[in-house]
Amino acid sequence: MDMKLLLDWRLHLTVVLASLLAEAIGILRIPLGPGTLLLLPLFYAFLIGVLLNPHLFSGMQRIIPKRVSNAAGPLIMISILPFIAKFGSTIGPAIEQIIAAGPALILQELGNLGTMLLALPFAVLVLRMGREAIGATYSIAREPNIAIISDKYGLRSPEGIGIMGVYVVGTMFGTLYFALMAGYLASLDVLDIRALAMACGVGSGSMVAACSGALAEAAPHLRDELLAFSGASNLLTYATGLYVSLFIALPAAEWLYKRLGGAPLQEVRHES
Amino acid sequence: MKADTTSALNAEALEELRPEQQLGKTALLLAAVCVAAWFSNMINGAPLLQALPGMILLYVMVMIGLVIGRFAPFYLPSVAWVSLVSIVMTLPFFPGNGWIVGQLAHVNFLAVVTPVLAYAGLALTGREFTMFRQTGWKLVVVSLLVFTGTFVASAFIAHLII
Repeated sequence: MDMKLLLDWRLHLTVVLASLLAEAIGILRIPLGPGTLLLLPLFYAFLIGVLLNPHLFSGMQRIIPKRVSNAAGPLIMISILPFIAKFGSTIGPAIEQIIAAGPALILQELGNLGTMLLALPFAVLVLRMGREAIGATYSIAREPNIAIISDKYGLRSPEGIGIMGVYVVGTMFGTLYFALMAGYLASLDVLDIRALAMACGVGSGSMVAACSGALAEAAPHLRDELLAFSGASNLLTYATGLYVSLFIALPAAEWLYKRLGGAPLQEVRHES
Repeated sequence: MKADTTSALNAEALEELRPEQQLGKTALLLAAVCVAAWFSNMINGAPLLQALPGMILLYVMVMIGLVIGRFAPFYLPSVAWVSLVSIVMTLPFFPGNGWIVGQLAHVNFLAVVTPVLAYAGLALTGREFTMFRQTGWKLVVVSLLVFTGTFVASAFIAHLII
């Protein structure tokens, strides 16, 4: 971590200005079919960030040099932490409701297995992916899941490429996608909004934030309860997710991959 | 070429995963990002002065969580520790929890995330843009399926039980 680059005042000033602009635009609601898309300030902030990114438009180097942008990665992880703390503070006061919802919260963790039922067959049968598909679809590709893949296959393996791809997509678009999906499903009113809040917890920090934030906007009167549920669910995911994905999800993905007739280990290694 | 791109990505990604390993540097950077969040909170949260105690509380909670993560005898991601610290400090029987919750109420939930996404947009590198142009589209499709599958399955199970 190069402190001089990480503390570059232009970077932080740009972030402050982008955030202020995004907050000033505020929340927009766009009707779409039977539901409503919620656009949150964090979308605009991301968009502004990308538009000012010196790697995309070289003219932007006058504002932020490439080397600052290159070094800025760790700031994402660090800047999410104050939010996590704010998030936890919605759980403490609601502890009694959460304990009452306990069984639902714990069983809902098994929903993580839904990941591969949908995505793995599609990746193998339609996209003709090799063993990348296992890494990409056995979990939602958060840090603990990466640790497992790196431990078992190494990160330069096809499985490693798969999971890193989903990890990067998650970092880039996961937040936006989760918020859009949650807001939209909430507006359809098919599933209990508290169940949606619990499902938000499967994501990583910023996904949970955007997801439960979108829900809270869709049902402002349940705001505190929804935030507390998704926070508790996220904490459980961190506590149990590692074990569920190591002992259940990964073996299941291997099994399903074989059943789908995916290429065996050596061939794929050769190919890539 | 594929392997090169990924291994560089891995090294960086894995280093990013452990902010608790470099507490001194993290403390400084955390202060900088907290200031950004503090300003971001001005518009839909509360005026700077009113939100100051809440922001400082968040800073302190994060640092306590990171210190615990650094010295804990077993590994849990730092986000889990930070989350635990903040839960414990806001439990109904924690001393002063009323004041803590009251101060944190001046910090808007979504306003704190806005700068995170601005950092994310600015921190994307040429490598990531290139990766998506080359082999990324399949992984993008699969990723969206992964997110949808997990979310809908979790929500469905929870819905049945509630």
